[in-house]
Amino acid sequence: MLGKITERLFFICATISATITVLIFGFMVFLGLPLIKGGQFFHLLTQPWLPDHNLYGIYPMVMGTVFIASLGVVLAFPLSIGCASLISVIDGGIFSRILRRVVQMMTGIPTVIYGFVGLFLLVPFVRELFMGGSGMCVLSASIMLAILVAPTMILFFVDSFESVPKSYMQAVDSLGGSKVQKLIYIVIPGSWSGIMTGLVLSLGRAFGDTLIALMIAGNAVQAPSSLLDSARTLTAHIALVIASDYESLEFKSIFACGIVLYVFTTLLVVLVRSFGYASRRNNE
Amino acid sequence: MDKSIKIRTKNIFFSYQNNRVLNDISVEFREHTLTAIVGPSGIGKSTFLMTLNRLWESIPGAAMKGNVEIRFDGTFQDIYLPSYSLTSLRRSVGMVFQTPNPLPMSIYRNVAFPLKLAGFKKKDYIDHKVEKALTRAYLWDEVKDRLRDDAFTLSGGQQQRLCIARTLIMEPQILLLDEPTSSLDTESGRIIEELLISLKERCTLLVVSHYREQVKRIADTVLEISDGHFTPGNAI
Amino acid sequence: MSRSLEITITGCSWLCGIVLLGAVSTVIGYLLFKGFGTLGPQLLFGSVNPLEALLFKKQVFDGLFPAVVGTLLLVILSVGIAIPIGMTSGVYMAEYANGSVKKIFSLLFDILASIPSIVIGLFGFALAVFLHRHFSEKIYPSLLISSLALAFLVLPYIIRTTQIALETLPRETRLTALALGATKLQNIIYVLIPKSLSGIISGVILAIGRCAEDTAVIMLTGVVASAGVPKSLLANYEALPFYIYYISSQYMNEEELSSGYGAAIVLLGICAVLFLFAFMIQKGLAYRALYRA
Repeated sequence: MLGKITERLFFICATISATITVLIFGFMVFLGLPLIKGGQFFHLLTQPWLPDHNLYGIYPMVMGTVFIASLGVVLAFPLSIGCASLISVIDGGIFSRILRRVVQMMTGIPTVIYGFVGLFLLVPFVRELFMGGSGMCVLSASIMLAILVAPTMILFFVDSFESVPKSYMQAVDSLGGSKVQKLIYIVIPGSWSGIMTGLVLSLGRAFGDTLIALMIAGNAVQAPSSLLDSARTLTAHIALVIASDYESLEFKSIFACGIVLYVFTTLLVVLVRSFGYASRRNNE
Repeated sequence: MDKSIKIRTKNIFFSYQNNRVLNDISVEFREHTLTAIVGPSGIGKSTFLMTLNRLWESIPGAAMKGNVEIRFDGTFQDIYLPSYSLTSLRRSVGMVFQTPNPLPMSIYRNVAFPLKLAGFKKKDYIDHKVEKALTRAYLWDEVKDRLRDDAFTLSGGQQQRLCIARTLIMEPQILLLDEPTSSLDTESGRIIEELLISLKERCTLLVVSHYREQVKRIADTVLEISDGHFTPGNAI
Repeated sequence: MSRSLEITITGCSWLCGIVLLGAVSTVIGYLLFKGFGTLGPQLLFGSVNPLEALLFKKQVFDGLFPAVVGTLLLVILSVGIAIPIGMTSGVYMAEYANGSVKKIFSLLFDILASIPSIVIGLFGFALAVFLHRHFSEKIYPSLLISSLALAFLVLPYIIRTTQIALETLPRETRLTALALGATKLQNIIYVLIPKSLSGIISGVILAIGRCAEDTAVIMLTGVVASAGVPKSLLANYEALPFYIYYISSQYMNEEELSSGYGAAIVLLGICAVLFLFAFMIQKGLAYRALYRA
């Protein structure tokens, strides 16, 4: 009897948790409704942001997010593969043990710290280097973003490198293969699903980050056309506009941003599941 | 009967995680013979094999003291000299494991893998070497029509012969086999035993085994290990 | 593969490792360098006597104390909300859920885990508006709303770690009590949860860290730059991460900027302590301390 009641209880809690996911999407759609009606949503995505002309297109922010997040991941990827290779295959000694610990600690560093240091250290540096502009641009934001996502990516790659069956490593060793040969011929080819998963997860993280872009990318409302342009991401836009008049159309645009972000991260989740990395790990 | 000595080990002490496994081993192996290494379960036998191709160096917690010399091209060479190339050692001293360990590739690529590691690129040459190795391993007829198939589609016994072929392709002078038939059924095991005897012509073989009957069938000499010490055992 | 290619690849890997270490040392080193001088009771308590501040006798206006208290309260409240709901959901997923229900819930939890924090903040804000309109006029973005929103943020972490901790228990452990006649519920309470405690606690520590460091959620749900120690759940409050953000764009003089560096060091310190706890639990120390076995 008690068993049945508690099972019911557990179920209710799980349902509450699951419902929250759906509610979040629901609220966003509901509150952004005025903008969504009449197929206007797709116009929203492609129009520029010109409040004077009553245009509240979020296209510049979409572009800002795409540029900054993609560049960040593009910078982080080779760095992460290199570090993961070093930790799992190429070096087995003290340096890689230290590096692994440091990477684990780095996952706990808050993004606001990266934003802060980026603002006072990297931005002036970029400003000096390119002799002009404010230094608050796509490039600076992407660099800090890369440092943010690299640790999680590295740990993911290390995990999949180390799940390659030991019998393969043993075979290559006994045949006289070198560490690099082991890495290139066996380890990396054997970790594709893990590498893809790590890449996609990091892309999701990069897309969803707020503080770095908010503090470093400049927040200009224009689609960036070069690395040194100032740009605004969907996430930063939400943070900036939240203080304005609640009833205005300008305000409702943030719900459109929210919808775009939500849909995009959901797609990434589905994509990652299709790689089947987790289920394969569980079957081993 | 008086074949020359191929491998000479002197005063080998081996410990794993501070437990002594091998105690003062000094034995010699003659070329073109098959020596069986027998004894109760434990890591002594496999460990001893690994001292001959330095594979134990990849295992954390293992430590060794002692001397191993192998006669290549007429002179004895100390394989533990820092300048001695591990790559060339492992091409001359091949190893086959208890559980077959094919790589995740086709049959052809598995056998050709050592050539790839060594940098050989000419397709004709590789085709020829692959066929030769598979023939010597008593496997060619069974796989010649499906070389592109995944290696894991082979049966256990066939996989083991595949691993032997892969080891043979670099024409090693010494073959180390760690209980090569213990994960296989009797029929497959017999095929491998015949294969090993045929290989004496080209190599010196050391086979760890705990099947007395098998030892009787294939071995020229028997070494028994107990408590980390070797004693010449009862052979045939 | 030619020798030179091998050397190049090896060299590149080492370069990556060095670059990464260099980057993190620069970040942390810069903060320590700039902010070390500000560390001390003045950073936290300003011109107020520490003891009086701690006993809430006097309000601190020029120190980090209210922000630290705010962050602490946030963590306690949100983790307090998330643990019961999260753990029970996790237990449900691991022990009771089956078939399509499990699949749907699993997908929804994965989605929840990937939603950007600002979107969760937006939801929290919308929730506040909704409650304000339909429930009580007194509800505004506040400590309560932020804690709720943060709870939503970390809920998936707790669900996932509880679920995985339970699912990876060895078969014998799961079957022993049942074989002795225990009911499913007794098995869960007396055997399974105690045995997976270290995994569950790791999840909790992860959640604590996330709550302490988050800025985006609280920005939209009630944090302000200057509010003192919050007097009630429905009041505004301060928090460390927001202070750092605020100072970075609104600092008036060198002193204020330095306090920003100091705040950053304090926040890093908190994260370091949490990391240490998680590490110790991994090594089983906390488990032994809890059970004195």
